[in-house]
Amino acid sequence: MKNLVNLAEKRILVTGASSGMGAETAVLCSQLGAKVVLVARREEKLQEVMVKLEGDGHRYFAFDLSHIDKIEAFIKSLISEVGPLDGFVHSAGISSTRPLKMIKPAHLREVMDINFNSFVEIVRCITKKNCFNLGMSIVGISSISSSQGNQAKTAYCASKAAMDAVVRCFAKELAQNNIRANTVCPAMINTDIYEKFKDNAGDSYDAEVLMYRQYLGLGEPADVANMIAFLLSDAARFITGSNIGVDGGILSS
Amino acid sequence: MTNEKKLELLADTFDCDVEDLSADKLLEELDNWDSMTKLSLIVLMDDECGKTLTSEEIKAFRTVGDVMAFME
Repeated sequence: MKNLVNLAEKRILVTGASSGMGAETAVLCSQLGAKVVLVARREEKLQEVMVKLEGDGHRYFAFDLSHIDKIEAFIKSLISEVGPLDGFVHSAGISSTRPLKMIKPAHLREVMDINFNSFVEIVRCITKKNCFNLGMSIVGISSISSSQGNQAKTAYCASKAAMDAVVRCFAKELAQNNIRANTVCPAMINTDIYEKFKDNAGDSYDAEVLMYRQYLGLGEPADVANMIAFLLSDAARFITGSNIGVDGGILSS
Repeated sequence: MTNEKKLELLADTFDCDVEDLSADKLLEELDNWDSMTKLSLIVLMDDECGKTLTSEEIKAFRTVGDVMAFME
């Protein structure tokens, strides 16, 4: 029997690995044979995820990605400890629900720093010589919000749209090093961010319409992790520069 | 925070003139007491007062004065 998604012996870096889709992706990658390197702010949450990983050779590092200027030194140190990478999943991200008039520059910077700027900076650092193995796959967790406008979502949608655009550039510029880059664009997934959305939207008409259009229902983190694992694998060797919906039908309905 | 400051912040949030606001003004009489304004109120409480405002608490507000009291 053929194993299509084989990540055996691949070393995969996952940011935002302490919860939600990041944690789910880390666990799945370990189940598929990868050695996983977890990064997030909360050390105790990282330790909880570590316990769930299968196999050995996994590591975790507590780090706050909002410290953009410290990422280079952090990645250098990380690579020196774990070795070159075969994959990178950027799951770190914060939600932002603010009407335009309430978006002060500091908030916009915060959202862009964590959701987008840290993604670019990590990619810049891990694509340097001796930091990656040939065939490395980069996956950013974007959102259907990258292609949909909505009230009170200026900062969040902009950060996800930026992720979608940047992987198109990464893909072309890094192809010569046999590096691929893609984003996955999840719709409403059963995570903390969805809980916050429900708190804000309540039983509003807009929320009802969104769930009607997402006719396969609420997604689970595993639905997104499955696609990410595929993109990390050699089975996806011909997919790069793409933004792939994992959306329960919402973008097509 | 002084009452003047509170009214100033609320006037900005409600998109109205501060002269049109008073503690006894009913929120439902505001021109744009809608979901976006309520969301703006949540952000305001977090940014300016360091407090979390829930949807349930917003539902309990009747007057501008109720909102000002929350801002303590």
